[in-house]
Amino acid sequence: MELAIFLMASALSIAASILVIIQRNPIASVMYLLTSFVSQVILFIMLNAAFLAMLQIIVYAGAILVLFLFVIMLLNLRREDFGKDIKLKFKPLAIAFAVVLLFETTVAISSSAMLERAQAQLPPEFGSVQAVGMELFTKYLYPFELTSILLIVAVLGAVVMAKKRL
Amino acid sequence: MADLRLMLPELILFAWAMMMLMYGVIRKNVGGNTMIYLAMLGVVITGFSIPMTGYGIAFGGTFFVDKVSVFFKMIFLGAAFFAAASSSSLLEKLKSDHGEYFTLILLSTVGMMFLISTNELITLYVALELTTIPLFVLAAYRKDSLQSSEAGLKYLILGAVSSAILLYGISMIYGLTGTTFINLAFGRLLEQSLGMLTLTQEVNMAFIIAMIMLIAGFGFKLALVPFHMWAPDVYEGAPTPVTSFLSVASKGAGVAAFARLFYSALPSFGEFYWGIMVGTLAAAAMIIGNITAVLQSNVKRMLAYSSIAHAGYLLIGFVSLPTTVNDTPFGPASIMFYMLAYLFANMGAFACAIAFEKNYGSYEIKDYQGLAKESPALALTFTIFLLSLAGIPPMVGFFAKYYIFLAGWPNYSWLVIVGILTSVISLYYYANIVKQMYFNRNETVLAKAHFDSPLVITLVLTVAGTILFGIFPESVIKFANNAFDAFPF
Amino acid sequence: MIPLEWFLIVAGVIFVIGMIGVIIARNVMIIFMSIELMLNAANLAMVAFSREMGTLDGHVMVFVIMTVAAAEAAVGLAIIIALFRNRDTANIDEVNVLKW
Repeated sequence: MELAIFLMASALSIAASILVIIQRNPIASVMYLLTSFVSQVILFIMLNAAFLAMLQIIVYAGAILVLFLFVIMLLNLRREDFGKDIKLKFKPLAIAFAVVLLFETTVAISSSAMLERAQAQLPPEFGSVQAVGMELFTKYLYPFELTSILLIVAVLGAVVMAKKRL
Repeated sequence: MADLRLMLPELILFAWAMMMLMYGVIRKNVGGNTMIYLAMLGVVITGFSIPMTGYGIAFGGTFFVDKVSVFFKMIFLGAAFFAAASSSSLLEKLKSDHGEYFTLILLSTVGMMFLISTNELITLYVALELTTIPLFVLAAYRKDSLQSSEAGLKYLILGAVSSAILLYGISMIYGLTGTTFINLAFGRLLEQSLGMLTLTQEVNMAFIIAMIMLIAGFGFKLALVPFHMWAPDVYEGAPTPVTSFLSVASKGAGVAAFARLFYSALPSFGEFYWGIMVGTLAAAAMIIGNITAVLQSNVKRMLAYSSIAHAGYLLIGFVSLPTTVNDTPFGPASIMFYMLAYLFANMGAFACAIAFEKNYGSYEIKDYQGLAKESPALALTFTIFLLSLAGIPPMVGFFAKYYIFLAGWPNYSWLVIVGILTSVISLYYYANIVKQMYFNRNETVLAKAHFDSPLVITLVLTVAGTILFGIFPESVIKFANNAFDAFPF
Repeated sequence: MIPLEWFLIVAGVIFVIGMIGVIIARNVMIIFMSIELMLNAANLAMVAFSREMGTLDGHVMVFVIMTVAAAEAAVGLAIIIALFRNRDTANIDEVNVLKW
């Protein structure tokens, strides 16, 4: 049963990703990206990452993708504005590169599988909000606060760039 | 609270950046160099606060202060100082007070200061993004210029892709070792002998790929071949003070992160592959950077390609890291000294280009003809910087290259030979500008040049640095020599 | 129990698809979405490793990565808006005033 869910979710995710990059209409691409994200949420849940799964929906699907849609609609990109969406001369190079990379990654992963590692016994609240929060506010407090400075920079940068006249 | 005291310089600079942002908003009379002086003051105050922190580890190992981080922080602050001081003509063109401009520069510097002060991969990544995201915005700052917006976009796309590759590599390191603390991670790799490249163990293939991804991610920041393609376009399109900041500070941040990561990784990497891989990258950078720079007619693009070449010279220092095991580690010291020399010479060269553009309106090399007649001071300072970049004594650049080659010679003499040959090639295009300035006649008479006071300060200080450290390099070398040994983990 | 490698293979495939997207896309929005795909793939790998190790470091990293991805997306889209004001196209080939 679990296997079936995994296969469906990962197949959906991969298929949606491929469809993202070959679409001509950017709004369709965003929708396929959303599909890919949501199927990844299923994978996250299978990996006991409850908090992150919810975060993925809220932040990625709910905020970032909406931002993409806003910008696409703001710029009023119509279908006629795009040429052929795939640069044909780069296609063989890209595919060759991707195949090589995929091969290397698979080799690497399968070799790491040879490590005799006992699967850790997971505590019941693994991946819950409390557990991740504990880590965030004790061990990783300083990087967590650092991301707040990053967000200041993001807001500042976005305002500086997007305003017509400061 | 003791932890926060170690972070004092970064906190001061962050507070100063926020203060400049707010001051820029409420300021009534626009114009003048007040914001520039304010930014320079903030950097100077931060610089003075650095010796007050002492050395130590904070926040459970995710933040620490040691000699190496102090040294690099000074370099980053210097770059921010000179970049802010060179910005007067840019702000005039933009016709508004632009506190945000300085805030972005200072926040990027804060990010760099955090970058070399961490032992931990998550913090490393956040600090790296904190460094580069303001630079994306700064590169695109001239919103009226298509070149600038395009430069920002190109920089952002390639920066985001490289950081995604870096992330994937980090995830593999975490997967192999179970920790995100750099020294722990590589320690575990060593004891499980996962990294040792023996033919019978296929396990380390994952480690190799992870390291390749990390090198790819950082190599972009360093503008290493083959990730260098963004540099000329972004350098040319971005406003010139931003370009100067990019060339020194972003490269310095890449070097610092590289150094932290790989110095810890070294025992587990296995010397053979590491040296060959990095050595090839270094040679490629030197060859491609220098040869392409010869063909450039735009001074900004030429400096961009020359900075690609300088990344190659820096990498020679990296391959020499494992060679000196019994003696004092000389490789790291040479890298740090080279960064210092590069800071002064490069910021100075860009400041000269800015001064020239302000008065004569061009970045083309052929327009520099006959500059020596009308503006001998500018021509002389520019000559000093160019010769330092080429590695001519008694400028600091000569000693920088000398130490780097000295460090690399024992085990990687082929690389040093490539370095020497490409330095000779670089002399050609640097000297070409000098020749234009001194020996060519200009048909149109150039008017006398006017300089802004902050720009004058920049030029004076960078020239002073270039000459002084060329005459007295020993103090810096001595400090740098013990710095890497004092890694507190 | 799904073995770890399968998740990693999925992550690897999505990462590679994202990389192909960045290389071949002509529309700059597709490039951005491909970058988001790559970051997502790294997220998936992190979470998978985290489950394998039994520690939550991976989860914290994913938290941070999401934040950074949001920040980068915001700034990137703002730059596109600024660029679009200068030049009325999102076709990446026309946005090539500077030589490659």
